[in-house]
Amino acid sequence: SPAPPPQPPSITDLTRLCREGKVKEAIELMDKGVKADAGCFALLFDSCGQSKSLEDAKKAHDHFLQSTFRSDLTLNNKVIEMYGNCKSMTDARRVFDHMPNRDMDSWHLMMRGYANNTNGDEALQLFEQMNELGLEITSETLLAVLSACASAEDVEDAFLHFESMKSKYGIEPVVGHYMGLLDVLGQSAYLKEAEEFIDQLPFEPTVAVWEKLKHYARAHGDFDLEDYTEELIVSLDPSKAVANKIPMPPPKKYTAINMLDGRNRIIEYKNPTLYKDDEKLKALSGMKEAGYVPDTRYVLHDIDQEAKEQALLYHSERLAIAYGLISTPPRTPLRIIKNLRVCGDCHNAIKIMSRIVGRELIVRDNKRFHHFKDGKCSCGDYW
Amino acid sequence: AASKFVQMREAAIEPNHITFITLLSACAHYPSRSSISFGTAIHAHVRKLGLDINDVMVGTALIDMYAKCGRVESARLAFDQMGVRNLVSWNTMIDGYMRNGKFEDALQVFDGLPVKNAISWTALIGGFVKKDYHEEALECFREMQLSGVAPDYVTVIAVIAACANLGTLGLGLWVHRLVMTQDFRNNVKVSNSLIDMYSRCGCIDLARQVFDRMPQRTLVSWNSIIVGFAVNGLADEALSYFNSMQEEGFKPDGVSYTGALMACSHAGLIGEGLRIFEHMKRVRRILPRIEHYGCLVDLYSRAGRLEEALNVLKNMPMKPNEVILGSLLAACRTQGNIGLAENVMNYLIELDSGGDSNYVLLSNIYAAVGKWDGANKVRRRMKERGIQKKPGFSSIEIDSSIHKFVSGDKSHEEKDHIYAALEFLSFELQLCGYIPDFSGKESYEDG
Amino acid sequence: SFSSPEEAAAERRRRKRQLRMEPPLSALNRTQTAPKPLQSPYYLNPNNPKLPEHVSALTGNRLNLHNRILTLIRENDLDEAALYTRHSIYSNCRPTIFTINAVLAALLRQSRYSDLLSLHRFITQAGVVPNIITHNLVFQTYLDCRKPDTALEHYKQFLNDAPMNPSPTTYRVLIKGLIDNSKLERAMDIKTEMDSKGFAPDPLVYHYLMLGHARVSDGDAILRLYEELRERLGGVVQDGIVFGCLMKGYFVKGMEKEAMECYEEALGKKKMSAVGYNSVLDALSKNGRFDEALRLFDRMMKEHEPLKRLSVNLGSFNVIVDGYCDEGRFEEAMEVFRKMGEYRCSPDTLSFNNLIDRLCDNGRIVEAEEVYGEMEGKGVSPDEFTYGLLMDACFRENRADDAAAYFRKMVDSGLRPNLAVYNRLVGGLVKVGKIDEAKGFFELMVKKLKMDVTSYQFIMKVLSDEGRLDEMLKIVDTLLDDNGVDFDEEFQEFVKGELRKEGREEELTKLMEEKERLKAEAKAKEIEAAEAAKRSARAAVASLLPSKLFGNKETDLESKREGEIQALNEENT
Repeated sequence: SPAPPPQPPSITDLTRLCREGKVKEAIELMDKGVKADAGCFALLFDSCGQSKSLEDAKKAHDHFLQSTFRSDLTLNNKVIEMYGNCKSMTDARRVFDHMPNRDMDSWHLMMRGYANNTNGDEALQLFEQMNELGLEITSETLLAVLSACASAEDVEDAFLHFESMKSKYGIEPVVGHYMGLLDVLGQSAYLKEAEEFIDQLPFEPTVAVWEKLKHYARAHGDFDLEDYTEELIVSLDPSKAVANKIPMPPPKKYTAINMLDGRNRIIEYKNPTLYKDDEKLKALSGMKEAGYVPDTRYVLHDIDQEAKEQALLYHSERLAIAYGLISTPPRTPLRIIKNLRVCGDCHNAIKIMSRIVGRELIVRDNKRFHHFKDGKCSCGDYW
Repeated sequence: AASKFVQMREAAIEPNHITFITLLSACAHYPSRSSISFGTAIHAHVRKLGLDINDVMVGTALIDMYAKCGRVESARLAFDQMGVRNLVSWNTMIDGYMRNGKFEDALQVFDGLPVKNAISWTALIGGFVKKDYHEEALECFREMQLSGVAPDYVTVIAVIAACANLGTLGLGLWVHRLVMTQDFRNNVKVSNSLIDMYSRCGCIDLARQVFDRMPQRTLVSWNSIIVGFAVNGLADEALSYFNSMQEEGFKPDGVSYTGALMACSHAGLIGEGLRIFEHMKRVRRILPRIEHYGCLVDLYSRAGRLEEALNVLKNMPMKPNEVILGSLLAACRTQGNIGLAENVMNYLIELDSGGDSNYVLLSNIYAAVGKWDGANKVRRRMKERGIQKKPGFSSIEIDSSIHKFVSGDKSHEEKDHIYAALEFLSFELQLCGYIPDFSGKESYEDG
Repeated sequence: SFSSPEEAAAERRRRKRQLRMEPPLSALNRTQTAPKPLQSPYYLNPNNPKLPEHVSALTGNRLNLHNRILTLIRENDLDEAALYTRHSIYSNCRPTIFTINAVLAALLRQSRYSDLLSLHRFITQAGVVPNIITHNLVFQTYLDCRKPDTALEHYKQFLNDAPMNPSPTTYRVLIKGLIDNSKLERAMDIKTEMDSKGFAPDPLVYHYLMLGHARVSDGDAILRLYEELRERLGGVVQDGIVFGCLMKGYFVKGMEKEAMECYEEALGKKKMSAVGYNSVLDALSKNGRFDEALRLFDRMMKEHEPLKRLSVNLGSFNVIVDGYCDEGRFEEAMEVFRKMGEYRCSPDTLSFNNLIDRLCDNGRIVEAEEVYGEMEGKGVSPDEFTYGLLMDACFRENRADDAAAYFRKMVDSGLRPNLAVYNRLVGGLVKVGKIDEAKGFFELMVKKLKMDVTSYQFIMKVLSDEGRLDEMLKIVDTLLDDNGVDFDEEFQEFVKGELRKEGREEELTKLMEEKERLKAEAKAKEIEAAEAAKRSARAAVASLLPSKLFGNKETDLESKREGEIQALNEENT
């Protein structure tokens, strides 16, 4: 049967594409002149935000600006949200600044956007502006404020704003606000403080509360707190038990709680430095890291320029290795090709490098291969 | 063939186009002054018959003849005069230009070609590879892929060779995957070039895998894997494969012996190396070539037996080349033997090679022992002789793209990060007891 | 056959795709490809201000790395965790400060201070910006390994440079650490600073400070601190944590009645942590109220509900065990000690050491060894302190062989006793006439320890007294190779004195001369070898010079060049 003649694309096609989340195809249709309606734009903005593609977002926004809906408040809010999801707060701000009228959602979306893009300070400035403009601060606003504080790791302000909730705005804090504060503490790496904060909550801590604390304990590497919260969670909800959990090895000592301060006489018995024949001493020979001696030579930047230049011979193979290192995952081998012979100094340096960086460094020079590994070279130092 | 033709003419037998084609390809096959004059004569003859214009095959054979004899302009003339051209004619013309290094012209003809087949593309790719333009070859291959023409095994071999030279393992692996989907996946030549590619990318395990999986092997397969092991420093494997090859009834040739000798020098197996060398001369009756002597010199130098190394130089039937003297010089450096180094340098001057690296090496040897006068003299001499230092560069393949660096390179888009990483690495190096060797101030690549 | 042209087209496209297998798009020289919109990570740009990363950086590969390192730490492979972290610095997946903190915390948990500081040095140099946790860990490390001044130095630098404020935890770490290092005044200064920065009064900090004053028996200062806290909290101290120290303060001042009133008040507190209880327990136990302490301990154990309310911990047990020992009730002490596991408390090396110490001190070596035997089963490893205690106790009980066995076990398990412990061992062995054993240990330890003159002379004297002068001279031989000890005239005189007993004093001179000679010979040999190599090479070259390689036609130019080289040679020799 002969194929039916192709129909010109219509709004129906466009709506279908938008609904299916096919952003690129939808934009193509719009480029061909199909006019989108409000529903299409709403769907498009959501899709772009989800895919986090700024390029698509800008195209969709361009079409929106040419459309008759360009001053629609709800849709403009959606554009702000979309740009926030695409991590372009500059674009979001431009839309926000040019909006003929804004509602509370506009403000909240802007603040949330800033907070999610680790720019909590901007969000807090917006909050100040809201206050100056005399806008009515809602419970929702304060949630955004707390999330901004978390993003800015601003513990002090968070508690101040929390205090002012009741005193200044007459808003009764709900669970969400307490959770918000917990986020502030957690994101600011105030773990102990977060634990104590939970202790003082005016309600019985829920699984969600402990899970939040556990999440932060894990992020910040506090193993004991992680295990403790996990136990609590399981005791509240046995279905949350983690299978195959590896228990943490016990600590060497419990200095903080053992009440035996001053009883430790190890100094009377232990050699203050390493032994002569200690393997480790050999491995670290030359490293000034043995013992408890603090290494105060922290900053290479202090060394004078000339000495630095001398210390760093920027030979091409070293540049290639350095680039290779920062471009590939740890412990993967690097292959470098050199058109001339490797010089002795570089050969020596690359040998040590292979140990420092824990990788195999394979250098092909104009004569042979050098497989550098663990501080040794396959050529046996002859080439 | 030429004399037969003369006889034929004398016998008044009218030659047909087949005759001419055979003759022309004979000329093309052995390009020399006489063959070209003969070829020109035949051209004149066919001209009279009008075959060069009307017969596609004769015309094409003419192009081929001229191109292979280095007369690419004449080839073009013949091409232009052809009344009928087929794909083969076009391809021959492209190949002719590539063969003579006229890339622009080749590309121009190529672009004029309405329908391109695998051979057309291969002419370009192979031509680039033969002239050491590997990156262009790969670029060309990429375009070929995008144009949808399926490569044949000749194309693939050329591409693999380009990968081997550039050391682009990522792309090499990709080509290998491509090969696996093709009919010629078990082609011996393709496998051989894969072995070579992997070993030249320092990926000897994969080379071994390809070798082990080959249903049948040729001498070249064995040679490739043995040399691969040897240059990668796996002496035991090289020697053991060298033995297995003989057990399987292959007669090692000069290349196999080079591999075995390299392996010995690498592992410091002097006795074994000498034994193999003797075996090659006496039993296999293979005339040692300069690279075999080179291995011997390496063998001795590495063991610190510089006198014997010198003896090899003295007694070998040909003049030493720059490479051999270079390794001896390097050995002098390792052993800190200036006297010998200076003398080796004299041979180098004799050879009058433009090689800069050995001058640099000598200068470094002087510098290493604090003899700055000596170092200065060498530098002055380099200048007098107009020897320029070859710019040193290193390259690394990241995500299938090649990044090249020269000393102190600041052109890379990520230079800030590179230098930051290097600065930190150098600091750690010094903590680990590394002391920069400033004696080598005159480096291979420092200005 | 296809049912529709669309399907046919689709199939064709599919085939074409199959044929094409497009090469990676970024193939070839970077200059030929469009520059990829490379958004470099924040941390890599040296021009950015040095702010620590936000926790949201922990995503993708960097989160995978984090989880991987956490698993390594749980598997107790700290070396690999630290090494992998270091190696990741040199990669496209740099560890976040969070991963690094996890490794640092794990190292601190295992008291691996030097490894911790080394890693910290490394990441600082690598430009990873520390956050508040990192700083707190470093303060704690220096304080734990008794370097309070260094800790304060770092703190000062932190206040000056770090783009963040100290947290309440920072002050707790600092003040507790300073108290533990007997830096009471500095601790008080830090508290003043904390107040001036507007931090709320922290009862825990007050507890530490009061504890510090209790240690120096300054009752007035304790009461002053308590009053200050009470005032600042609006007249009531809800947190029971300070009451133990407050009791101690009253006890110090002889105000027993007030102390016990305070005890009553403490018992009524809503908020009473294990630490608070322990402090009260300690106050009672150390001030002649052990029976009351036992009653409280009973109550604590009854209140103990793991997860919900932790009212006893290792410290509570340690206090009670100690109390029993003070009373001479060792069986009960051991019984309580062994009951710990029932309350989810596990003893550490120090609690074991403490009990062993108390038992040994009271001549109960068998029981001490029994307790020592329980360590392994509890996963606690003995340290130098443990073995030293047992060794000393065995010598006191005339069990020299067992003492030696403990010493050997300590060295075999990789521990590093110091010279004093070694000296006691050798001294003990010699005292019971075990000269050969003593000499054996000398030979074992001389390779490891930096022996001093006394240690050398001791073993020499012992051998000399036994008439084993040859062996003594052997030690002189070892000594001469040891760069650590100066074989000065006084020392030589000592050796000569010993040798004089058999009229062999000239043998020392001979030995020393022989040593000198050997050293000189070795050096000469080295030089000779180098010279020989040079000479032989020269000879070889000389023989080669007129050979065919130099060509048969010796042109002017060439001879000139040769002259140049000659001159060069002369210049250089």
